[in-house]
Amino acid sequence: MSRDTEAQRQQLLLRVLWRDAADVTLGAWLRDAPPRAARGLSAYRSNGEALAARALAASHPTVAELIGSDSFAALARAHWRRHPPTCGDMAAYGAGLADFIAADTNLADEPYLADCARLDWAVHRAESAADPRHPPEGLDLLGGDDPATLVMALRPDLALLSSRWPVVTVWQAHRRSDPERFATVREAFAAQRGEHALVWRDGWRPRVSLVGAAEAQFMHGLLAGRPLLAALDGAGNDFSFEPWLLQALQHGWLAAVRPSAGLTDGDER
Amino acid sequence: MPIDPGHTGIGWRQAHYGELLERRPALAFVEVHSENFFAEGGAALAVLQEGRMAYPVSLHGVGLSLGSAAGLDSGHLERLAGLVERIDPVRVSDHASFARAPLAPGQAAVHGNDLLPVAFTTAALDIMAANVQRVQDRLRRPLLVENLSAYLRWADDALDESEFFNRLARRTGCGLLLDVNNLVVNALNAGLPPVATTVAFIDAIDPAIVGEIHLAGYADLGDIVIDDHGSRVHAPVWQAYAHAIRRFGAVPTLIEWDTDVPAFDVLLDEAARAQRVIDLHTVLEAQA
Repeated sequence: MSRDTEAQRQQLLLRVLWRDAADVTLGAWLRDAPPRAARGLSAYRSNGEALAARALAASHPTVAELIGSDSFAALARAHWRRHPPTCGDMAAYGAGLADFIAADTNLADEPYLADCARLDWAVHRAESAADPRHPPEGLDLLGGDDPATLVMALRPDLALLSSRWPVVTVWQAHRRSDPERFATVREAFAAQRGEHALVWRDGWRPRVSLVGAAEAQFMHGLLAGRPLLAALDGAGNDFSFEPWLLQALQHGWLAAVRPSAGLTDGDER
Repeated sequence: MPIDPGHTGIGWRQAHYGELLERRPALAFVEVHSENFFAEGGAALAVLQEGRMAYPVSLHGVGLSLGSAAGLDSGHLERLAGLVERIDPVRVSDHASFARAPLAPGQAAVHGNDLLPVAFTTAALDIMAANVQRVQDRLRRPLLVENLSAYLRWADDALDESEFFNRLARRTGCGLLLDVNNLVVNALNAGLPPVATTVAFIDAIDPAIVGEIHLAGYADLGDIVIDDHGSRVHAPVWQAYAHAIRRFGAVPTLIEWDTDVPAFDVLLDEAARAQRVIDLHTVLEAQA
């Protein structure tokens, strides 16, 4: 037996488990009689699919509640089969679930689900992001330097999701237990309200906040790495920098203020 | 006078994060799944660091895929190395299994996230020895490798499983994490007498390589026995464990419970039972 034989054996077992090859193709490789081998394969498949359902439900709790545990388990199984994990850390598996949901015609009647999945995933990533360093570096630059030459870096666990659906209202309703919790969701859908969701971690706890359109425009600019002045211009006249900065400092959104190396205002705009 | 923590530990799972830190029972160590703490920060890692202040911590992985012919995932190894540096664990272990392989030649490997059985061939031994050596070189410490519960058996197995581990240890300096429950599960699924088969494996293992023992419960589904870590340790496992302690001495022993995790006191009770097996052996040895 050679290394190539072992590679071939291992590839074949994974292909069989992912139903990319028929069970019988493994037959000659196995000591077990066919019924026993079939039971073993079934045990591995069940374990994998249950693992996918548990891991994806942990990282997408809102979606799991929205569609119910049976439908979510079916969704997780389908995603597992179509997009096997590429690493051995199941907490890192699921970044593609939102796009998978968006492409699933069976879920076309619930077009907000994909954005709910994106918000769930952003919260999941924030939970495990590196602990922030305080205070942010370079704050003193804000006092004197030309904003056209400065870049404000936000914390790596911070994410901003702009949706045509009321994703923040939905997410918050699913964190409450009172009987009236879905009244706000019904109102938001009736008003056809889109929302901008800001996600970050406050201590150990992930937070999801609703932010206004101008504020969201400004933060999208910062997250895209644009110089401060360009981000301010993009936010429009409704945006006030000082209240935002105060809030950013209070919540620890800011990681650093730095000179924008090699960029000019003209390049960015 | 400090309480003697003995030699036994428990798998420390999320349901008991708070209770362990509040009650601080006398335990020799706690064990966690390495991959659950691969995050760069956050609450889980902070809890583990707090636990590390109170107990020796053993890092037990499920995702290194030590038997993969496709080799190790460098990113996974680096994250493990980072965790080892943060925690300074008392032991580091993973399984004699594979999970990584490309689904077609030339493609990137997928990861099955399961403990799939390697063949007991010299080629599979070469692959695992090379992967174990790479891990040990990176971590700068010896690894313990655990025997599997396997639901498939390869037709061309050429080595006894015990010989596979003896040779792996001789070649790499790694140790064996002896999972007694896995041996009993394999014997039951093969229709063999579980205690006698497990005892035969234990007797064939070089005592010098055994670094830790795992005990857990299994689920008998009628047509197959699953190593589900979801109940108290079964009688045949206790019987074989007592034999293992007689042969290997007071080896650190872990109670694993991952499915339907019970009340904390149930886990402690199982750990205390394992400790009594070790204590009895120690007394008998002293009197012999």
